[in-house]
Amino acid sequence: MYATLRHADYESRSAVLDNSENVRETDRSVFQRMVATDEELVARSRDGDVDSFNQLVLRWERPIYALAYRVIGRDEDARDVAQETFLRAFRALPGFKGQAKFSSWIYRIALNLCRDWIRRKKRQPVVEMPEGVDIVELAAEQGATESIEDLVARQEMSRIVAEGMTLLPEEQRTAIVLKEYHGLTFQEIADLQGCPLSTVKTRLYQGLTVLRRHLESRGMTSYQSEKES
Amino acid sequence: MSSFNCDDKQTLIAYLYDEVDTGTRERVDAHLAACPRCAAEVRALGDVRLELSQWAPPDAELGFAVVRNSTRESEQRTADVLRPARWWQTVPAWAQAAAAILVLAAGAAIANIQVRSGPDGFTVSTGWMPVPVPVAPAPSEPFDGAAIERRVEGLEQQLRSEIKSAREPEAVRAAAAPADEATIRRVRQLLEASEQRQKQELAFRLTQFASEMDVLRRADAHRMTRGLVQFDEQMFRQQQLLNNIVRISGTPQQ
Repeated sequence: MYATLRHADYESRSAVLDNSENVRETDRSVFQRMVATDEELVARSRDGDVDSFNQLVLRWERPIYALAYRVIGRDEDARDVAQETFLRAFRALPGFKGQAKFSSWIYRIALNLCRDWIRRKKRQPVVEMPEGVDIVELAAEQGATESIEDLVARQEMSRIVAEGMTLLPEEQRTAIVLKEYHGLTFQEIADLQGCPLSTVKTRLYQGLTVLRRHLESRGMTSYQSEKES
Repeated sequence: MSSFNCDDKQTLIAYLYDEVDTGTRERVDAHLAACPRCAAEVRALGDVRLELSQWAPPDAELGFAVVRNSTRESEQRTADVLRPARWWQTVPAWAQAAAAILVLAAGAAIANIQVRSGPDGFTVSTGWMPVPVPVAPAPSEPFDGAAIERRVEGLEQQLRSEIKSAREPEAVRAAAAPADEATIRRVRQLLEASEQRQKQELAFRLTQFASEMDVLRRADAHRMTRGLVQFDEQMFRQQQLLNNIVRISGTPQQ
């Protein structure tokens, strides 16, 4: 019973505070779980260790959410996609034999869900900007390293980039997101997208070229200066 | 070794992402040094990559976790729930319970619910109507036998006249009686049905509330565990740092 185990864990923690050996033992197991590789955690999860799977979730939830957000462009829907990704992964874990990396496997699940979302909604992703953002507060959070002007410029740039990404077909957008923000190799992207290596390179080139034109049309200074020079 | 072609965009993109071998890199470098058009394109695409780095997703609080449902423990991997940390889940259960009590108290204050205990048991009243003040018994009068006899006679006459008048429409009321009984039966059935519905609704709400509280409790437990794990990690790092400091301080100066 998972919830009960959690409470038992707390009780044992509080009960053995005076017993340094036990405390060390508990810490050691927690630490071992934290430093374990994905493959080790997957193996433990397959043996029924839910905590190990939750450690994998903790490790991968932000990249998966970021991937979903950049592909579909909506915060709430990206959360739903990320949640569904881990749910499906957990259910499919007995069938995962380690033939691919855990990250590749979970990326594939997330991308399939993103593709389903786009097909189901039959629409392009939107540029969703958070409302009610106080620039001054944001600047304060950033500390002294970034001025308000810089922050505003960065936000504007972020908006223009997001806008440009919506112009791309889903395959090009996904290829760029996987390459730029997740650092996957051409071969890994080809495996995930189920296409030849050359197609991945073509998608990246075409996508970057469309983005370049979009940024130029929005008067991005670096290109203006490029032309002037 | 063949030279690089301006139309070879696949090699160009591989060069841009540094996924080329040394030989290809040298060929592309040599070509870029001689071809301003390709050099400008590589610079522009590099700038696009730089701008792409500005696009960050919102700093969302996620906190997904697998929570096993104890009621279906025997089923394999079908009783698991993933819950994202939404804003209402970040509020601890005790705070939610306190808020619920506060709302109930405010509702009770608005409705002016009053509970009194007295010789007749507990009395619950609502609304802002004035509370009926118990009437004090009248002071006893001196005993007057003749007056009481007159009042009793008067009451007897009144009773007789009422019984007489009540007997006269007996036939009419006898005809109406079956219809009344049917109506009463129907009303009673409706009341029972309504009562049953209310009971079911109450049971449903209670079950739902208990279930929600249970899930929230588990989510809280998981969040606390995460906090503990992070704390453990920090402690471990600090311990390592201390060990290093102790080791360094114990090393003799050269």
